[in-house]
Amino acid sequence: MSRLAQVCDAVAAHNRLVANQAVRARTDAKLRAEVLARWEQAHAAIPQVELPTGLKVPRIALPQLDEAGEIARYLYGEGLPGEFPYVNSAYPEMYLDPLDPHEPKPEEPTRLFSGLGLAEDTNARFRYLSRHQRTYRLSTAFDGPTLYGLDSDADGVAGKIGEGGVAIDTVEDMLRLYDGFPLGDADCSVSMTISGPAPILMAMYIAAAKRRFGPQVVPQLRGTVQADILKEVQAQNEAIFPVGAALRFLRDMIEWTSREMPRWYPISISGYHIAEAGATPVQQAAYTLSNGFAYVEMLAARGLDADLFGPRLSFFLDSGLDLEYLALARVCRKLWAIGMRDVFGAGPKAQLFKLHTQTSGRSLIAAEFKNNLTRTALELMLAYANATNSCHSNGADEPFTTPSEEWSLLASHAQSILLEESGLFRHMMNALSGSPGMKVMEQVVEAAILEEFRTIEEFGGVLGAMENRYQRTQIQASAHAIERQISSGLRPIVGLTRYANRDEPPPRVQLVRTSASKKRLQLARLKAFKTTHAAAAKQALTRLGEVVDGGGNVFAELLNTVECCTLGQITECLQERVGKFRPMV
Amino acid sequence: MKRSPLKSPVRLLTAVPICDGHDSAINTINLECIRHGIEVVYLGFHRPEADIVRAAIQEDVRAVGISTYNGGHVEFFRDVRRGLDRAGAGHIGLFGGGGGTISEADARLMKRHGTDEIFFPGASLESIVKFVSDRYAKPGKPDAPATPDGRLARALTRIEAHGVGPAKTAKRRHHARVIGITGPGGAGKTTLIDELVLRYLHAFPAGRIAILSHDPSSVGDGALLGDRATMIHSQDERVFMRSMATRGRAGGLSPATERCLQHLTRQAFELIFVETVGTGQEALPFRARPFDLKVLVMNPDYGARLQLQKIAMLDVADIVVVNKSDQPRARAAAAEVGRRLAVNGRGQRLVSAAACRHRDPGVDELFRLVTGAPTEAAQ
Repeated sequence: MSRLAQVCDAVAAHNRLVANQAVRARTDAKLRAEVLARWEQAHAAIPQVELPTGLKVPRIALPQLDEAGEIARYLYGEGLPGEFPYVNSAYPEMYLDPLDPHEPKPEEPTRLFSGLGLAEDTNARFRYLSRHQRTYRLSTAFDGPTLYGLDSDADGVAGKIGEGGVAIDTVEDMLRLYDGFPLGDADCSVSMTISGPAPILMAMYIAAAKRRFGPQVVPQLRGTVQADILKEVQAQNEAIFPVGAALRFLRDMIEWTSREMPRWYPISISGYHIAEAGATPVQQAAYTLSNGFAYVEMLAARGLDADLFGPRLSFFLDSGLDLEYLALARVCRKLWAIGMRDVFGAGPKAQLFKLHTQTSGRSLIAAEFKNNLTRTALELMLAYANATNSCHSNGADEPFTTPSEEWSLLASHAQSILLEESGLFRHMMNALSGSPGMKVMEQVVEAAILEEFRTIEEFGGVLGAMENRYQRTQIQASAHAIERQISSGLRPIVGLTRYANRDEPPPRVQLVRTSASKKRLQLARLKAFKTTHAAAAKQALTRLGEVVDGGGNVFAELLNTVECCTLGQITECLQERVGKFRPMV
Repeated sequence: MKRSPLKSPVRLLTAVPICDGHDSAINTINLECIRHGIEVVYLGFHRPEADIVRAAIQEDVRAVGISTYNGGHVEFFRDVRRGLDRAGAGHIGLFGGGGGTISEADARLMKRHGTDEIFFPGASLESIVKFVSDRYAKPGKPDAPATPDGRLARALTRIEAHGVGPAKTAKRRHHARVIGITGPGGAGKTTLIDELVLRYLHAFPAGRIAILSHDPSSVGDGALLGDRATMIHSQDERVFMRSMATRGRAGGLSPATERCLQHLTRQAFELIFVETVGTGQEALPFRARPFDLKVLVMNPDYGARLQLQKIAMLDVADIVVVNKSDQPRARAAAAEVGRRLAVNGRGQRLVSAAACRHRDPGVDELFRLVTGAPTEAAQ
């Protein structure tokens, strides 16, 4: 029986236990007394806070229960905020204002994904977006050639340089990208959205940080690299090495960073791209969780301790407009915690499903695009009602362009309005948790996810299902269904299939494009780097090849290779040794 | 009015440009086209302009559809148009669309550069299919002399459409080795051929390969011809590849396969691979000449040993490949198949391979058997 089947069994066992405890709390006087005492304690521990209007409310809202069976069901089945199985949240307080107004506020959960043009252009955007923020949270988008491990001078990619993300070819570009930001500080975190060549870019990041702050900065570095190769194969199509080799490079990186960089998340297990490719919310959650368990199984098989790497796994989900999103992340937290505890024997820190959410890009519509502000605001609300740990909100102009400054800032401000202006998330935990609809959706979604697990299990687990194109086929079928539902009117879209203003002229938006002169500059820099390091590069690539063939830790060697080799040179060297990714359709 | 005996469907090539993996829209459009009787040759994502042009010409499609999301579309469409025109394929249409990164001004510019139509976000599936069906209902008139591949491709189209071979020419059959590859769906035939192509391109400095690759026609008579998308090494100037839909014929090949093959054997190819659709136990697809070598590719999980008795190809295949030798049951399967072949006593060869493994020695062995190239031991 594979681990996924064991997770299903563990969840079933947990649900039975909860049901039994509820029954026993009604019949067994001792348990009843215990449960009631715990409930009283929980209430007593909750401080009162004063709203700006002067009203006093509890800092954590709990359901109004006075019957021991139902209390037991809540405590064991859902847990207080920050308690197993973490249905309400991973941490007790999340976005609440500190009790003592003199205490520093927690780090803002807002992340703004940016990347455009050359490194210095993205650097300028980072400065613009973070100028009023207390902490630096730099979330980086890379251009197409970088995502595919190609240099800017590769055949046929000239039109793509700096489009839709930043062009990075060398460690020197990486230096320019984060220039001026205090990478080793506690209030600075960097995320890099890249998977296929993730270990190479990650090595460049470390090398760039070392050049600026010295080697002692490495354990201080905070942030995330996406590095989720399974979802690339299932949905996003930015894999560049065969799956087995890519998993080995990933494992080497996680092994290294788990030991050397205790504050870094070396993988962000992502459902976002699965959902954006057209998956239903249940498919998104099921494939993300099953991929997560597959990674854990792989690392555990390597002999790594789940309590070492488990706390360094992070997750990334989409928040869209389907009803399932009312409960999706809540269910994910529960299933992850149970799986990690009961199947992999992990302790509390490794049980947390630490979640980054992004509002749905797919839901944004070009026609009458200002409606996208409303769509994104709703999705944000759902994301925070699901206690996401961090969040990116999309710019309304994304159907047309890499977001311009104007719409990026509006997207960022939407989060500030929700978290700072509005009282919904500042004063009281659980303000929106536990509605009857939310509870119903939790049950329905959980059952559907477990059903998907069982199907994946029948293929012999995640890798077997992947080889049989199971996830891809399911996602494509869902995408096709959505389009036909839009056509048939089953999924109404305001401004497009309903209430459309036919006379509206095409929107005027500012397009973010990379000029030809900038592209030439990037090519000139790349050429200079290659010339300067030509001799050293040859030796470094030979060494890298030897490590690949010899079975050593490829990531440890990449830290040397990136000093004198370009992204494209390294990709080519690795592909010669392990082959290229063969796409699936 | 005289009608041609076989209906000839619109053939379309679709692809996503280099450094772009956004295939959700194109997959949906492919499915919708197929439902409406269109044959779609799907080249996949992350595809350079040269691969698209080459494929469009070899497949002799009426038009190329490109779905693009992450920028650079003005240059990319211009390059594809230019590539087609330069190769004497100005009559092949070009259209596309994307996730909205194409502005109105871009679209005007792209149309000036020779793109027939750009679809913006929100375009309905119906409108796209209607455009393709109307605009490309008839083949475009070539306005320039075709390249040799272009001429060959059009000859194959005529054979497919009219069910007759080309006029007998004086040309004798060339020395091409014709290799038929068959086996159940999912056994890895496509990957195996692509790996053989890779080895050929490395081992021989000159010479060309042809591939006839089959996929089933579906209800509505469209077809998704998707082998090119996974055959990364076969997208090469030295490979002529043609994707064929079965168009109602059972057994793994198309009604025109044998005639197309006859024509191909008169061209200068060293090797010709014919890949069937995924076949069942009773299939014997390579009955007619001119197959020099018949290869059966099997999964290790064919079921109980009794099932082996029912696989008809096991009696006629020259080579049996038990693929996925890295899977649990592979050794046992190879042993069982080996015993079965020994009973046949016809000197059939058994190869255990893992086509998806880089530099797999089993595929190397198959390559030597297929090409007659000397073994390493003999060198």
